Amino acid sequence: MPLRRRDEDDDEMEPEDDEEYGEEGEQQALDDEELEAEEEEEEEEEEVETRRGGSSRKRRRSDFIDDVAEEDDEEEEDDDDDEDDYGGGGRRGGGGGGGGRRNKKPSGSQFFDLEAEVDSDDEEEDEDGEDDFIDRDVVAEEDDHRRMHRRPLLPREDDQEDVEALERRIQQRYARSSHTEYDEETTDVDQQALLPSVRDPKLWMVKCAIGKEREVAACLMQKFIDKGSELQIKSVVALDHLKNYIYIEADKEAHAKEACKGLRNIYAQKVMLVPIREMTEVLSVESKAIDLSRDTWVRMKIGTYKGDLAKVVDVDNVRQRVTVKLIPRIDLQALANKLEGREVVKKKAFVPPPRFMNIDEARELHIRVERRRDPMTGDYFENIGGMLFKDGFLYKTVSMKSISAQNIKPTFDELEKFRKPGENGDGDIASLSTLFANRKKGHFMKGDAVIVVKGDLKNLKGWVEKVEEDNVHIRPEMKGLPKTLAVHEKELCKYFEPGNHVKVVSGTQEGSTGMVVKVEQHVLIILSDTTKEHIRVFADDVVESSEVTTGVTRIGDYELHDLVLLDNMSFGVIIRVESEAFQVLKGVTDRPEASLVKLREIKCKLDKKTSVQDRFKNTVSVKDVVRIVDGPCRGKQGPVEHIYKGVLFVYDRHHLEHAGFICAKSQSCVIVGGSRGNGDRNGDSYSRLSHLRTPSHIPQSPKRFPRGGPPIDSRGRNRGGRGHDGSTGATVKICKGPFKGYRGRVKEIKGQTVRIELESQMKVVTGKSTFDRSCVSDNLAVTTPYRDTSRYGMGSETPMHPSRTPLHPYMTPMRDPGATPIHDGMRTPMRDRAWNPYTPMSPPRDNWEDGNPASWGTSPQYQPGSPPSRPYEAPTPGSGWANTPGGNYSEAGTPRDSSSAYANAPSPYLPSTPGGQPMTPNSASYLPGTPGGQPMTPGTGGLDVMSPVIGGENDGPWFIPDILVNIRRSGEESVGVIREVLADGSCRVVLGSSGGGDMVVVLPVEMEVVVPRKNDRIKIMGGALRGSTGKLIGVDGTDGIVKVDDTLDVKILDLAILAKLA
Amino acid sequence: MFFHIVLERNMQLHPRHFGRSLRENIVSKLMKDVEGTCSGRHGFVVAITGIENIGKGLIRDGTGFVTFPVKYQCVVFRPFKGEILEAVVTMVNKLIPDDMEFQSGDMPNYTTSDGSVKIQKDSEVRLKIIGTRVDATEIFCIGTIKDDFLGVINDPAAA
Repeated sequence: MPLRRRDEDDDEMEPEDDEEYGEEGEQQALDDEELEAEEEEEEEEEEVETRRGGSSRKRRRSDFIDDVAEEDDEEEEDDDDDEDDYGGGGRRGGGGGGGGRRNKKPSGSQFFDLEAEVDSDDEEEDEDGEDDFIDRDVVAEEDDHRRMHRRPLLPREDDQEDVEALERRIQQRYARSSHTEYDEETTDVDQQALLPSVRDPKLWMVKCAIGKEREVAACLMQKFIDKGSELQIKSVVALDHLKNYIYIEADKEAHAKEACKGLRNIYAQKVMLVPIREMTEVLSVESKAIDLSRDTWVRMKIGTYKGDLAKVVDVDNVRQRVTVKLIPRIDLQALANKLEGREVVKKKAFVPPPRFMNIDEARELHIRVERRRDPMTGDYFENIGGMLFKDGFLYKTVSMKSISAQNIKPTFDELEKFRKPGENGDGDIASLSTLFANRKKGHFMKGDAVIVVKGDLKNLKGWVEKVEEDNVHIRPEMKGLPKTLAVHEKELCKYFEPGNHVKVVSGTQEGSTGMVVKVEQHVLIILSDTTKEHIRVFADDVVESSEVTTGVTRIGDYELHDLVLLDNMSFGVIIRVESEAFQVLKGVTDRPEASLVKLREIKCKLDKKTSVQDRFKNTVSVKDVVRIVDGPCRGKQGPVEHIYKGVLFVYDRHHLEHAGFICAKSQSCVIVGGSRGNGDRNGDSYSRLSHLRTPSHIPQSPKRFPRGGPPIDSRGRNRGGRGHDGSTGATVKICKGPFKGYRGRVKEIKGQTVRIELESQMKVVTGKSTFDRSCVSDNLAVTTPYRDTSRYGMGSETPMHPSRTPLHPYMTPMRDPGATPIHDGMRTPMRDRAWNPYTPMSPPRDNWEDGNPASWGTSPQYQPGSPPSRPYEAPTPGSGWANTPGGNYSEAGTPRDSSSAYANAPSPYLPSTPGGQPMTPNSASYLPGTPGGQPMTPGTGGLDVMSPVIGGENDGPWFIPDILVNIRRSGEESVGVIREVLADGSCRVVLGSSGGGDMVVVLPVEMEVVVPRKNDRIKIMGGALRGSTGKLIGVDGTDGIVKVDDTLDVKILDLAILAKLA
Repeated sequence: MFFHIVLERNMQLHPRHFGRSLRENIVSKLMKDVEGTCSGRHGFVVAITGIENIGKGLIRDGTGFVTFPVKYQCVVFRPFKGEILEAVVTMVNKLIPDDMEFQSGDMPNYTTSDGSVKIQKDSEVRLKIIGTRVDATEIFCIGTIKDDFLGVINDPAAA
């Protein structure tokens, strides 16, 4: 358009140039052109302007400058009518109002004329205006003047006085102006020059009656026409979108007030100055009016349909009304009642749900349905009680004010609904493309792949080269096209290909990344990186990115994949984070249960590091890989992410539901490989393990701790609860933290914290972290008298089993780990030495504490009593070492491994060791089979260590008759019932679960107690109640709740000492 | 695409493996460690085909472990965009129903509307990779069977 107009202008230019040279003044009568101009003038801008005729300010400008200014005006006319009016109008006024002045200021008025003409050209296009109230006479007069100027041009041309000079002049002038014209970038600068400055008249905001804005403006105009230059205002503006106010342009406030005097509906008491900066904004055209076109998505602002999505089907700009298409919310029954004149109970709160109108249904209710043809569009509508329906949609004509068209982002659901009644694909694209109408600026970036979705170039792909205000320059993909094409932003859509890795940058899925798997017009289907589910997003909301994020992964304190405790004491893993809520996989094992949980429904995060036992009583801690062997998810395998109450949350990345999480009972899992836990954590789990186990044997040997009471760990279960512990009063050494190395006396033990009175500093320190107890190392055995004694007892208990001596030390890690998993393990051999008369007191203690493996080399030496085991033992620690994959010799890791190694070591060679010892070979035999340092379950080792101990204490077998066992022999598994426990620890077992099969002798290594389930009859294999039978009435984590038959007491016992009764 | 390349790795070996069979131990450990893993850079290590060179071992302080730099030849597999592969379906999950229909149930599968072609677990399909995402330890691809000569090539159900 601008180009065409430019041509016209050029045509006009030439005569005009001449005009400059000619003397003005030759005034001619109106010709027909005048009439034309008059018509143009009639179609005024929406803003009503009264132009001040006799401008007090005389503009003296050179022709040249004027011309330039004129060009600018033209350029900006499209966007900026007000500027135009402002400049042009004023000047026009100069021509129009001040009839006489024209003669005095010839050069200026020449220009004004031209300008005015151009203006009217423009207005013709912009039209819109009613403004019939512009006095035709005035306009005529104005045009009259203009004509008068034009006339002289032509004769002037004949003069030919100096053609060359003229040419030069033209060159000079238009060389520059043409530049201005075509180079868009300079426009901004030029426009800057047009902005109001301090010297320009100001805008005053004056209050008027609501709805009378236009009227007031018109009155002022009339007043101006009547009074002429008496009224010292420049213009009046009434804006459609601004109620209650009009703007008056005047130099002084007094002028504005003066103008308002004597007029109705205007309240000039308070006149406000519009700051210069805001002046342009006052008159800039709001884009929203433009946006409202057919097929735009809008939302209703008021009424029953408030908030509902609607689609514009017709716009009536004159009446400011819009016809929209809605999904009706109509209660047919109520409607029927109403139409039949029955009583209608008005229930305000009730808003019928949106539902497509079903005409048949309406007819059934005897609602009169008329079918009518719309005279305008030719479409048929069903008319029900004055409402128009078509295809189930309600067509409603509403005021433009009652809809909002800004920033409408329909959700997929809404769009789906709209699409429902067989709208074809094309319609869909069109409707989607209207979504772009209100997308935000800066949407495209250089390098973006785009596709043209509208216009002649539809389906042309390309890349963004440059982005301007509204136009995007793209480099088309097709050959033979210009290097870059300017395309309007709204005709473009981002383009992606399947396989692209993208990131969602806005919308509900904001933040997530994934790979495009399908492109459906403007909608992409993305396979999310996190959830491995597909999500639908608008192409507009997406950018290409190689980044892999999980989307929103956090609300408040809770993060994706956290284990959380919920309100109702259930728990689960967060498997998806939505905008306001989490999806949680509940900790129910029988079937996967996911539920949506609001933030407030979450009680707290659970990040306890516990460990449980798997089906084969191996310890499972977090990160261990387990395979699920039972239940709905049988066969799945993966690392354990969380453990809570005996329930494992396993992550299997091949499991596509619930973000890969599977919830399973620990009993229905088996550990695969070994424990992967790192040293620290394992130290921890180790300690837990010990406390899980210990209750079984503590009561068993009541005489074992004759003085000191049970050691710390034996109360491990009570750690959180009771304050006092056996080791209170013990002298300890702190091995971690700021007080590392200090010795002190334990004052109090509470849960995980220990208060220690430091010997050297005379003060009491408290450690709060869970680690604290493990940070405190038992001090020299000598300083803990009760311990010493107990050890002695233990040692002396089994004088004939020298090989067991080294076993006892392992008990220490088991027993003490609650407090000191690390150092105890290490120090124990040394303690043995302390009391073992055979052992030379060799290596300095510090060595041990440093976890120096070298010290382990000495271990065989402290068992001089068992020479045969020595050579074998030497390598075993080695295998213990190998257990740490990657040779990760953290301080924490070492003792653990070594202790397990020790545990394993003796067993194969001392099969006669009675009791639980046989458990150990389990792991021991497992070890050799894992070359290359296959990580061994340290837990296993640790656990097994226990058994000999128990055996030792009881002087009896671990297994007891009448219990069900799983026999694993040469790869076969069978169930049997122990009939008799032989002296060497092996058992006579009757095969078959009911005990009806063959009788075999089974080594303890080869069998395993069948873990009882709820309501099973059980036999207690350890503890004070050893040998008693009972019923398992409940399972809580690793504890079993047992009703003992004899006493009918309900006891809580470790599941590990419970065996299913045959 | 498969490549036969030479890679290097530092192997840590426990002292108990020292001795006559040191080399074998290193190799078996290497196989255990490396085969089946995936690195974003090279792809999946399919098999070790040979050892080029085992360097001098370095004893690590305090642990007794020895680190050997090992150069080994191996076959790696790395998928590329645009590559056409034959693959076995290991799992059918509901993703994007296209021209085929998803049928859930005991044996979830995709079936064409006329029921002539069925894709289910263990089906062999030829597909074209249209996108890859390479992480440090994972390569993730998306393939299509919507092209000429792509699709099911061997259906266990039909056989």
